[in-house]
Amino acid sequence: MKNKLTYPLLFFLGCLGCLLLFLANLGIGSVTIPFQEIVGRMLGGSFSRNTWEIILFEYRLPKALTAILAGITLSVSGLQMQTFFRNPLAGPFVLGISSGAGLGVALLVMAGSAFGWSLYAGAAGLWAVVAAATLGAILVLLLMSLTAWKVRDSMTLLIVGLMFGSAASAIVSVLAYFSEAEQLKVYTVWSMGSLGGTSGQQLHAFLIASLIGLIPVLAFIKSYNAMLMGEGYASSMGINIHRLRWAMIISTGILAGCATAFCGPIAFIGIAVPHMARLLFKTGDHRILFPAAALLGAMVLLACDAVSQLPGSAQTLPINAVTSLVGAPMVIWLILRRNFSKEF
Amino acid sequence: MKDTQPENSATQTILHGNALRLGYQNGNNTFLVAENISFDLAKGQLTCLLGPNGVGKSTLLKAILGQHPPLSGEIYYQGKKLSQLSHKDLARKIAVVLTDKVTTGNLTVAQLVALGRIPHTGWLGNLRDTDISQIDASIEATHVGYLRDRRLSELSDGQLQKVMIARALAQDGEILVLDEPTAHLDLANRFEIMHLLRNIALRKNKAVLVVTHDLDIALDTADRFWLMPCGSPLVTGIPEDLVLSEQINLLLPDQHLFFSKESGKVQTLDHLEPPLVQGPDALTQWVKKAMLKRGLTLEMDMKLEVIPHPFEIRLKSGQEIFRFGSIQEFFEAESWKTE
Repeated sequence: MKNKLTYPLLFFLGCLGCLLLFLANLGIGSVTIPFQEIVGRMLGGSFSRNTWEIILFEYRLPKALTAILAGITLSVSGLQMQTFFRNPLAGPFVLGISSGAGLGVALLVMAGSAFGWSLYAGAAGLWAVVAAATLGAILVLLLMSLTAWKVRDSMTLLIVGLMFGSAASAIVSVLAYFSEAEQLKVYTVWSMGSLGGTSGQQLHAFLIASLIGLIPVLAFIKSYNAMLMGEGYASSMGINIHRLRWAMIISTGILAGCATAFCGPIAFIGIAVPHMARLLFKTGDHRILFPAAALLGAMVLLACDAVSQLPGSAQTLPINAVTSLVGAPMVIWLILRRNFSKEF
Repeated sequence: MKDTQPENSATQTILHGNALRLGYQNGNNTFLVAENISFDLAKGQLTCLLGPNGVGKSTLLKAILGQHPPLSGEIYYQGKKLSQLSHKDLARKIAVVLTDKVTTGNLTVAQLVALGRIPHTGWLGNLRDTDISQIDASIEATHVGYLRDRRLSELSDGQLQKVMIARALAQDGEILVLDEPTAHLDLANRFEIMHLLRNIALRKNKAVLVVTHDLDIALDTADRFWLMPCGSPLVTGIPEDLVLSEQINLLLPDQHLFFSKESGKVQTLDHLEPPLVQGPDALTQWVKKAMLKRGLTLEMDMKLEVIPHPFEIRLKSGQEIFRFGSIQEFFEAESWKTE
């Protein structure tokens, strides 16, 4: 109760930081657009160079918005998983969603080519990849739902999810082994993640899906607080664990599934950001933690994207490599902290 | 039997179990854990459920909590079938302290206790004035006010247990169920927790059901015992009645153990007659106890006397008198022992 003032302050600072990162993200790239020019353009002025207009609106703005959406969806689904499974190392992909999406894309790109199709090329290709990833994620989700329906134990569900993921990855490996170099490269590039592949309609679809995926989180926010004490207590406080489990599977399926479909598998955001939110906000209350994780997720992914542009050079790094390079030390540091498990 | 009937007009039965069969159904296989379980749980009383490990106490608790319905038989809450109450209604009537370790260190004590209000709040879980006063009352009743702003990771096991009881109180059910709340606690905390629970039962007029293995403390504090022996029906009654009728021995299926009415303790059957020791009872009982443990006996012509202020053990053997300042000295002196 004594923290009544500090939470709004933290959120205000977070929003401010997010805005700054957003503007910085718009400016950074192979062509640097000065900060004051962007602010001027946003306030209704015009750029001193016409090429900037195209770079900003055709490429950078959708990319920055995608980074924000992906950051939010991945962190929120990661937080759901960690709380539901009472496991600090759970993430959005523990139920095999990214592997399922990867399998979908691999089938499209590599198996498709075996039949002489090249569905992934051309203008329709982007949508085909998104559709394949979505179908793959839905397939794994259906299998997980069947399991959840049969199995009442959450730890079993977690293990089965990991197994589904491994099986999907194994199928991808088999496909990769038999595929041509060109197809392999297309798949590999997809699996490295990219925030720049979405524009216009896709961004709309991503936004709407994300909003739908957030509904179960809002509806069950109190249940997540009860889950802090474990399933036994939560259920003694009138929480229907079975219903919560379904809500969580559907919500993370949509949120993480969409992020993976549009941006490829982006590692570590979903695991590391919820921990950052807990550390910074020092609370276990999910009414604070969910918005905090969403805000931090957006910030971290914007920052990672800015880094991946390698400011000052014409090269870019794959986003998945950057998030892993930032995320892995972060998770290691968290684990090495003495009271990590106690703060969780 | 009329005069041994414990219920008077003041005790109200709130939960009534009728011929429960407890177990697990897996396809066509039924794994029966316990049967013939009938009970009445009364408000304003501390009831202790005792029984050996694996006899189905936890399964019975789960049935009472509505988490694992019995195979047959029915539990009634004030005449209504428990199985017909919704999750939320049930949560407003029965609160629980489980053996599960709560590992969320990031919560403060006040926040944890506030979680107990979950069945009473709206979808966001915002607390109203009634919720806050209930939380404050629970914290006060369990004397954990000084811990209010501490994080759970900073509490000792005893403190944590009291906080968990405060949370259950905040849930404001008429029934409080606790699964081994005194396990892993030190002696002082065991007494404190059980007396706290007894006070809660009396002052707040709650039905408190405690699973425990602490027979000593349970005998001191409980109003009712529920004995759950292996393979026989649940036996309920006033603890002292169960001692007098020797039904308390149902807890000790081992042929070598029995509950001694004299000492109020569990003893082995094949123990020796205590040696005759003269002196104040408070002192002689400990000398006797130590001798029994060692299996030491006195010769026919020996007399043992304990003298207080200063403490002295005096052994008369024929004409000789030996004096010892402590039991250890007495044991270490070989001179008087029989070969």
